[in-house]
Amino acid sequence: MACSESAAAVLADHRAAVLSNERATDVLYVMQLQVEPSSGEQGGEGGLASSLAPGQFVHMSVPTLQSHILRRPFSVYATDPASGRIEVLYQVVGEGTAEMARWKPGQQTTMIGPIGHGWTVPEGVSRALLVGGGVGAAPLFMLCEQLVARGVHVDVVLGAATKDALVCRSRYEAACGCAPTCSTDDGTFGREGFCTPLVEEAIANSIEEGRPYDYGAVCGPEPLMRIASRAMTAAGIRCQVSMERRMACGVGACLSCVVDTVSGKRRACVDGPVFDATEVVWR
Amino acid sequence: MIQPNMAVNLGGLPMKNPVTTASGTFAAGREYDQFYPVERLGAVTTKGVSLNGWAGNDSPRIAETPSGMLNSIGLQNPGVRHLVEHDLSWLEGRDVPAIVNVSGHSFEEYVQVIEALEEAPVDAYEVNISCPNVDEGGMTMGCHVPSVEKVVAMCRAATKRPLIVKLTPNVTDITEIARAAEASGADAISLINTLLGMAVDARRRRPKLARAVGGLSGPAVKPVALRMVWECHGAVDVPILGMGGICTGEDAVEFMLCGATAVAVGTANFMDPMAGLKVVEGIAEYCREQGVSDVNELIGALEC
Repeated sequence: MACSESAAAVLADHRAAVLSNERATDVLYVMQLQVEPSSGEQGGEGGLASSLAPGQFVHMSVPTLQSHILRRPFSVYATDPASGRIEVLYQVVGEGTAEMARWKPGQQTTMIGPIGHGWTVPEGVSRALLVGGGVGAAPLFMLCEQLVARGVHVDVVLGAATKDALVCRSRYEAACGCAPTCSTDDGTFGREGFCTPLVEEAIANSIEEGRPYDYGAVCGPEPLMRIASRAMTAAGIRCQVSMERRMACGVGACLSCVVDTVSGKRRACVDGPVFDATEVVWR
Repeated sequence: MIQPNMAVNLGGLPMKNPVTTASGTFAAGREYDQFYPVERLGAVTTKGVSLNGWAGNDSPRIAETPSGMLNSIGLQNPGVRHLVEHDLSWLEGRDVPAIVNVSGHSFEEYVQVIEALEEAPVDAYEVNISCPNVDEGGMTMGCHVPSVEKVVAMCRAATKRPLIVKLTPNVTDITEIARAAEASGADAISLINTLLGMAVDARRRRPKLARAVGGLSGPAVKPVALRMVWECHGAVDVPILGMGGICTGEDAVEFMLCGATAVAVGTANFMDPMAGLKVVEGIAEYCREQGVSDVNELIGALEC
């Protein structure tokens, strides 16, 4: 059975309030939000937080910035269904996210969700390799938790600019029971340079040990997803990637966020964001 | 409190309220039906459709700009047969008129699309001679009186259904184009399509859109749209479907005062998926507040 069963959950625009907005580095922040049950819901346990599957995202408005009219899509880092809280890890890349970085606890916003198709791990998978580059580490964390709960052995490779930017590292370590293999651009933690050599080494080691991976998931900059997924595919590992595009509606109507695939242009928002790597025609 | 009459007639298309959707922002309504029943709208205007599928333009296809956005989707659509089988069949089951936005690469293709739709559950056509994001057809056809006359007359001959002609603002004098559409048989005109624009990434020294240029929409274009609706209202007798940055009921009322019989909500759907319904409710609220018993009283009621 696929992991993202709840992709069929009906979309709603949920009201949410910022609980915390922690600065991890100059450009990386972790925001925790309390989502209110939407008006149509019968109370329900946690509402949005309980219906979000790993790899799905929310489309958040930035109400404090009136001249920026579009919402911003954020993959969900973690959820707490019991309390209705969700967390997003975001990078300041423009004026919208710069404004969000100024939000204080109590700030109100709205978010459409749960959106899209998340990670779908086939039945019978026993060993998985998760590869996260930069903020791409976040959308893999719920998948990691789910795989561990299913008894799947999970190895994690994380790459980031600096040691501080490895924001998710300790949580992965706690979830998997073993430390992620890391690289940093500046060499302040783990291997210096990109994380793609670590991915190739992990694949080679797993084959040497006679316990090859049978599922891979990659999220991060497009070159990382292209190189890492090709290495996995070449080794016979089924691999999925989470695609990022500029998005307007976030619900499948406007066709702004299309990804080139072997079956034509498909919408990152509702046909993805997670695609099988072999489906993507890389730029 | 007396409920105002909200019903209008757009060139032979009866609408229970004056609000539809701007083509290309609402697909065929199915996505937004998750947020509110689309039958609450006066009509659903579907995404531009051509005879066969179009792949559309490369990414990036959008860029955010102050109080607006640029798009260069390029009329990506799976073709008229897919629209009939997958979307119009769904819309037929809903109690809301369907306005189908018709596109083409050539004069003949517009007619072929209409012919392919004549047996389908369509309540009106919106002839798109104003898309700025395709090389052939679209805006190239809507900028010159002779080609406007030709395509509108050909479409007119192909159908008895209400024919709305969607105009581009990227012309010197929009009233000249409006008059040509009216004289060639349009039952109504809709305006404005997007304003041709550009956004630049200074640090990368590149345009923000893959196609360099795109169509500007959103609140930023509302003053231009209002001016053009007002000008056209003075120039033609056919009713006007007004659009351009409408986010609230009051925005819609401004268009009606300038002469629009009906209005379309476009980019606002991206800002708030409930926008269409909020505009319907906002117009009714305005009428109650202002003691307007019939929304038709607002059409062209601007005092100047």
